[in-house]
Amino acid sequence: MFLKVQLPWNVILAPESLEAEGLMLQRSIIIRLLDDFAVKKATKDLGYYLAVTTLERIGEGKVRQHTGDVLFPVVFSALTFKIYRGEVLEGVVHKVLKHGVFLRCGPLESLYLSNLKMPDYHYVPGENPYFMNDKNSKIGKDVVVRFVVIGTKWLEADREFQALVSLEGDYLGPVSSPEI
Amino acid sequence: MSGEEEENAAELKIGDEFLKAKCLMNCEVALILEHKYEQLQHTSEDPMNQVSQVFEKSLQYVKRFSRYKNPDAVRQVREILSRYQLAEFELCVLGNLCPETVEEAIAMVPSIKTRGRSHDDDAIEKMLNDLSLIKKFE
Repeated sequence: MFLKVQLPWNVILAPESLEAEGLMLQRSIIIRLLDDFAVKKATKDLGYYLAVTTLERIGEGKVRQHTGDVLFPVVFSALTFKIYRGEVLEGVVHKVLKHGVFLRCGPLESLYLSNLKMPDYHYVPGENPYFMNDKNSKIGKDVVVRFVVIGTKWLEADREFQALVSLEGDYLGPVSSPEI
Repeated sequence: MSGEEEENAAELKIGDEFLKAKCLMNCEVALILEHKYEQLQHTSEDPMNQVSQVFEKSLQYVKRFSRYKNPDAVRQVREILSRYQLAEFELCVLGNLCPETVEEAIAMVPSIKTRGRSHDDDAIEKMLNDLSLIKKFE
């Protein structure tokens, strides 16, 4: 799910970037905020950080002892993406393995659909392997699949989420795209 | 896998961050990200280099998975779904997946049928009809 969140943040500027006044200062704060935001990538609570939408306010700067850096408390709105257990989503298959497939969904690339969670499908080997059921419905590379999330995992070191997904449920499975 | 065993979107148990956050449909995110990307194209020669990977992957995703492209249609979808006392999360799942039948809608968002909610099948049917009308006239 995509979320619109409001976040407080501390922007720290080195003394040398403070020379200019007024709008120039605001510009330095924004540039620094956008950089920090992109580097942050994701958090466990809010998911992946997509984009800053609006800067709500910039508080008064406080000079930090020893370094002379100035800390500005800011509040801004941003878009994030987080997946939830029980959520139904659509994704695209990007890797087919013998025991399941990996899907891409939003900024996430590691959603695993195990063969155990699509029991009526069997693996069909070949140069472009895929999974197929007895109704000839296929799950192969680039196929859009509708699935339910059964587990999520936050990897702190990589700042990434992984998820386990399933086709066990009504109206889940490969989505027939009208273009084909 | 998840330490928070309580979390279950199917029952609308989705955590505290939702108290402060608003959910957005794929088509709404597409409008915002495309606008941001266009702004970058004016100020930079290589805009794809200016955005994070998270931004790039998300933009590709919402472009592909937006049911409505026209900004007016996008606004109407939210307006129509807002009439049905849905939680933000439910509203967006319905707007993203556009179920065609009442049965499908309940399978996608089981919480709309839980006890104490006022959605009977007729109300859900009417909501889905309204949605398909927007799609038709887009």
